[in-house]
Parts: sequence; C-alpha cells; structure tokens
Amino acid sequence: MTRRLTIARFLILAAVAACTPSSQTTARTDSTGTAKSTGAATSVAGTRIAVPRTTPAGEWQMPGGDYSSSRFSDLSQITAANAVNLRASWTFSTGVLRGHEGQPLVVNNTMYVVTPYPNVSYAIDLTQAGQPLKWKFRPENSQAATGQACCDVVNRGAAYADGKIFYNLLDGHTVAVDASTGKQLWRTKVADLTRGETMTMAPIVVKGKVLVGSSGGEMGVRGWLAAIDASTGKEVWRGYNTGSDRDMKVGPRFKAFYAQDNGKDLGLTSWPGDTWKQGGGAVWGWLSYDPELNLVYYGTSNPGPWNEGVRKGDNKWSCAIMARDADTGELRWAFQVTPHDMWDYDTVNENILVDLPLGGTTRKTLVHFDRNGFGYTIDRATGEVLVAQPFVQMNWSTGVDLKTGRPNVVPEKMTAEGKNVKDICPSLEGGKNQQPAAFSPRTGLFYVPTNNLCMDFEVRPVSYIPGTPYIGANAPEKKGPGGHGGEFIAWDATTGKKVWGIEEPFPVWGGALATAGGVVFYGTLDGWFKAVDASSGKELWKFKVGSGVVGNPISYLGPDGKQYIAVYSGIGGDMGLLIAGDVAANLPYDVRERGSTLPDLGRWTSWGGMLFVFSL
Amino acid sequence: MRQSHVVACSVAILAAFAAAQSQIGRTGPNASVTDFVRFVAHPDNIPVGLPSRDYSLPLVNPYEGNAQALKTGAQLYVAYNCIDCHGADGSGAMGPSLADSRWHFGGTPAEVFESIYEGRPDGMPTWGGRITNDQIWMLVTYVRSLSAGKDVATENFAGATVERTGH
Repeated sequence: MTRRLTIARFLILAAVAACTPSSQTTARTDSTGTAKSTGAATSVAGTRIAVPRTTPAGEWQMPGGDYSSSRFSDLSQITAANAVNLRASWTFSTGVLRGHEGQPLVVNNTMYVVTPYPNVSYAIDLTQAGQPLKWKFRPENSQAATGQACCDVVNRGAAYADGKIFYNLLDGHTVAVDASTGKQLWRTKVADLTRGETMTMAPIVVKGKVLVGSSGGEMGVRGWLAAIDASTGKEVWRGYNTGSDRDMKVGPRFKAFYAQDNGKDLGLTSWPGDTWKQGGGAVWGWLSYDPELNLVYYGTSNPGPWNEGVRKGDNKWSCAIMARDADTGELRWAFQVTPHDMWDYDTVNENILVDLPLGGTTRKTLVHFDRNGFGYTIDRATGEVLVAQPFVQMNWSTGVDLKTGRPNVVPEKMTAEGKNVKDICPSLEGGKNQQPAAFSPRTGLFYVPTNNLCMDFEVRPVSYIPGTPYIGANAPEKKGPGGHGGEFIAWDATTGKKVWGIEEPFPVWGGALATAGGVVFYGTLDGWFKAVDASSGKELWKFKVGSGVVGNPISYLGPDGKQYIAVYSGIGGDMGLLIAGDVAANLPYDVRERGSTLPDLGRWTSWGGMLFVFSL
Repeated sequence: MRQSHVVACSVAILAAFAAAQSQIGRTGPNASVTDFVRFVAHPDNIPVGLPSRDYSLPLVNPYEGNAQALKTGAQLYVAYNCIDCHGADGSGAMGPSLADSRWHFGGTPAEVFESIYEGRPDGMPTWGGRITNDQIWMLVTYVRSLSAGKDVATENFAGATVERTGH
C-alpha cells in the first residue's frame, strides 16, 4: 500500500486545519443530539455544502446525510489524534447474507436498517444496553425478483421524513412504514417486474414527495424517475429518460447548456426506430436536491443493449445527468456524459452539491465521479461542464471537450459487433461504481472510492426477450496498470486533481464518510474498515470486520452523547458476488468457481450480513 | 413424471370429493364432520418435497449424446439470453451456476427439461410453449454438458479460474 501526496497542498491544508477552532462538538451539538445543523461549516474559502442540514447533526435521516449527498458529519469527537482508540461498541446481524450496500439511518435515538432481499427493516432502540428491537417489518416481496436483479439483490437504503420510513422493495414496490410502530402505511407498485424492472435505489423525500427510480439497465427497461405522495402512496408524476418530449416532461422550461443537446424529441430521434423502448437509462443510483433551484438531480444508466450496433445515435438520455423540477417533474436541463455509450459506463453515480471557488467567483456546482473515469465539476443551475479530468487510469478517451461537453473517444477502443477490443480502461465497473464519495468543507476535498480495472469487450448479437437480460457482449475484467484493484483518493474538484491516494488490493466498493473531526472512513472488499486522516490520507486505524464492506459508513450521536460510526459488513453486489463468485459459499446447489478478475478475494472474506458500530 | 403425478393427485382429490358428496347425500346435512376424516396407512417412506430421487421421470432426451444437438444447444444458450443469467460456460451470474454438478431442482435430463419448461420461482422464466420442446432438449443437452467431470467442492486458491462478465 502506498500513499501519494502533494506536499504543498498538504501544508496548506495543515495550516488551515491549525487555524480552525477545534471545539466543534460543544459548539455544534447539545447533549441530547438534537442540536442545530451546521452543514454549511466552511474551512476553505468559498467552499460550502450547498444545502445545509436542517436536521440534527447527531442524526442521519437521508441516504447521503443531507440533500447535497455530501456524506459529511459535523460530529468531531473522533479526531486524527484519537482515532487510534476506536473500538467496536456493538454489532447486529441482519439475518441476510447478500450484498449490504447502502447505510442505516438514525432518527430520535433509533437506528433503521434495511436488508438486501427480502428487504426486512429493523428499528433498533439505541437508548438501551444490548440495543433491542422496537419492531421489525417483513414486507411481501416476490421471490421472482431475485432472478431479475442483474447485480445481486442489494438495497441502498431508506429515507426518513415526517415520522415515516420510505424504501424500495426488489420486486418493484415502494413502501412507507410508520417509524414508531413498524406498521405498513402504504405499498405502491411502481416498477414492472415482468419487464425486468427491479428496485434497489435509495429514495429521497422532497416536500412531501418520495422520489424513486428502477434498476434494469441490463434487462432492456425504459428508465424513469417517479414522485409518490408521501401521505397517500399515490404516484404524482413520472418522467421517462427516453422517448417523446411529452413522456420525458420536456417543455419550454428545458434548456440544455450545449447546443447539440437542445431540439425536439431527442429522446426519440437519437435512437433508431423503437429501440428507445428498451433503451435502458434506468435510475438505480443516488438522488440529490437543491431547494433554492428546486431541482432534483440524478443520473441515468447505460443504454441497452451493450451491443451498440442495435442503437446507432446518441441514445438520449442514457448515461446522462438530469435536473428535474421537484414539484412538477419537468426536465429543466440534462447533460449526456457519455453519448452513445459502448462500454457500459452508467452515469448513476451520486451528484454532490457543493459551492466551490472557481475562476475567482463562487460557483454553484455539482460534482460527479462517473463510471467513464472522468471527475466532473458542473454548474448545477445550467449543466455547464467547468472541470472534467480523469480520476483513474483510462485509455478510452483523451479528454472532455469543454466546448461541447463530449469526451474525445480513442477510435481503437470503440466496441462493435464482430470485434473483440482488448484492454479498455476503466472496465465496465467504471472508475467508480455505486459506492458514494464524501465531501468535507473543512478540507475542500472529495473522498472517492475508486476501481482500477480494465476489460476486453467482445460484442455479440442479442435479441430482446422481456424478463431476460438484454446485453450482447462478453467483457472479462482484470486489474489495471499497477496491479492494485482500487484506490481511495482525495480529489480537488476545483482543479480536477488527485491530492492523495491509498492503493487497495481490491476495488474499493464501499462508500466514504467525511467528519468534522478531520477523519475519513471507508471499508474494503477484503473486510477492512479504516479511518484515515482527511488532510494527508495517513491511515489512523483499521478493524477487520466479518465480511467485505460494500456499504457506506455513517456517523451519529448516541443517547450517551458519544459519537458513533456505523457501517454494514456483507460482501455482494456486482463486484462481490458476480465477479468474485467463490465468496458465496453457503449454497449447496450453486457452488461457484473463483473468477479471474479477483482470484484471491475469496481468501479474505465470505458472505455475511452484519452492522458494526464503533466509538472511542 | 411430475405432471402425471399432479394429474393423478387431482383425480384422486376429485374422486374423494365426489365420494364425500355422496356421503353427504346419504347421511344428510347434520352428519358429524369426523365422518370425513379418514386416515390411510402408509407403510412406505414418504419422501421429502419434489424433486425426489425415489422416482424417475419417464421423459427421455432424444438428443442425449448427439454432438450436433450439443452445438445447437450452445447457440440457443446465447440466443435466448441464458448466458447473461447463468454466465459464460454456465459459471453463474445473476442466476445459479450450471457448471458445478449441483442441481437445485434435480439434474436428470427430465428434471432439467422441467426446470426450463416450467420455470422456477427464483426468476427462471417459463420457456414451455415459447420455444419448441426440441429446442429445450438441445438446451438440456448443452447445459448438462457444462458440469461434466467437474468437482468444485474444494477451492484451494491454487487452481484455475473462470472468466466472468459483470454488469
């Protein structure tokens, strides 16, 4: 493992840190954990989280911690100086052994956990020793869904609002559960399992509407974002990501920043024939919201199928960042990150809303680390690309043309039927996948879990059969140059430069947490949960949990006034289940051989399903 | 054969129902409910749920050992998108491995035919009536060939690996 560090940057950060008041905890949090929010805390001039938390700093009410998806906690008891004293406080078995992506919530001294399929939820009482359950909720959930989900039966978490817990079921339903009793309040079918739509993403709740989307980019679905009334469970609006302007909710208020992205019915005309009907563009990643602009941001998945010959054209709006009016669902702007994708570079990764100093002024930006390997800093009001630089090793593109926003593609790395293109970097898992990054206003840096993988890509004919995969390619993967599988990096989004990095033997498939104490947390596929110094990347502490980490750490304040860090352990997802294969050891009728991509992963971990909670 | 088993059971139930009806007819509406509870002695072992090795399906694969059918089956495995669920060479992906000599629903040709024909509750589609029975048999021929000679019980991290495609 190596650390790379820009010394000058480190010195500046160290100086900034030294000049910052250190009494954050007492200043910002009262003893009951219901203190006022300080999400706007600024240490680097002109830098702030766009949407200050209006919820208590000691809680974690939405998937990304706040509407900005910053995954920043204002708690600061755990510092670079004392992190070495971290220890496991308590654990909880979820009773499920599949990929534990996502994160728990903490509200009113209660922790809410949602499991992978069958999507059981638990309310854990944090006020009592031994953490007994208040309730558990076992939803109806069709078993057939397990065979329609492309990449393990994961769930990326719940959202809390107004005394209710909202989350998605794999079989295409969204449920609302009473947070105090565990009673189901409503259950609404929003996705069609018979057409390959499953649900794995974490909703957010905006002004009484629950926003959800479906998975199925590998199943020939037609992607959408829907808003459900949080009180009644009735669908309020739905905006498709392909098809006519009417279906897409494109009207007079739509304005893309780049000329080529404006025009009538682009969701139809950028596809041959009816191919947009099975064109993918699913919404299985993360949502963000800016109340001032009243825009909801999300990314769309790869176009289907992977065989690009079936769908010549830009394939709008697959692989795009979308900004919709939160009330009406109207599409306000869209930016297609990878037009006519031919490598499975979904754009579903999180969009982190941060104001940053750029060109002498403070810009309202959205920072996005795409599967295609570029880290984008984008004007979140207009969709203009301000910075786009590679954050991992790549060879499919020479850079992004800032006049058009489009990547310059290396012709030899273009895939096509009848070709087997060798050594494309990053691989189809992307420079980063679903594992969300975190941002700290105290360092001005983004903390990004990344993959270092390359692939060969052989395209074959494919036919659309509803309810079966719609792919048409074989793409074996391997570790990229350097031989490490991933790297946990700190990124400066104003310059598009890596500040430091920690190389990991395996792709870093767990998310990041940044804290006001100057400590950043992340977990690894081989089961290490780590605390590192936010400024230098120095490893401060690590603990070997029972199973690989593909979940995202959170921080909360316990009823005892102590800061806790919680994270799921439970390997799975695309990387942990499909690629590694042999980590699944418990099914006598499904014994898998180890995969060539990560041939040693099974030595370090097996399936599991545990919540780990740490404190000083 | 399961279908004939089901049919036989159905017939038996109908017969019992008819008998019960006639019983009602004979004894009137006030007859005690215990009249309908009849215990039947079972001197044989009752097997656990289907499929069971205690019976064999009388279905016979017409293409067993047919090299051309094996080749066509491999093409059908790609054409019907089996490959993206069960993996290249059947090594497992969204769906279970078909290359491990282990069968959740039975591995005889007839049982594999049934799994493809009827579908299975974990998301395996029902192909019966959608593709021809001949094609299903060719798929059976190919799928059963994938685990031939394989013993995957032990993984000692020194042997060969398989290539997998993620999503």
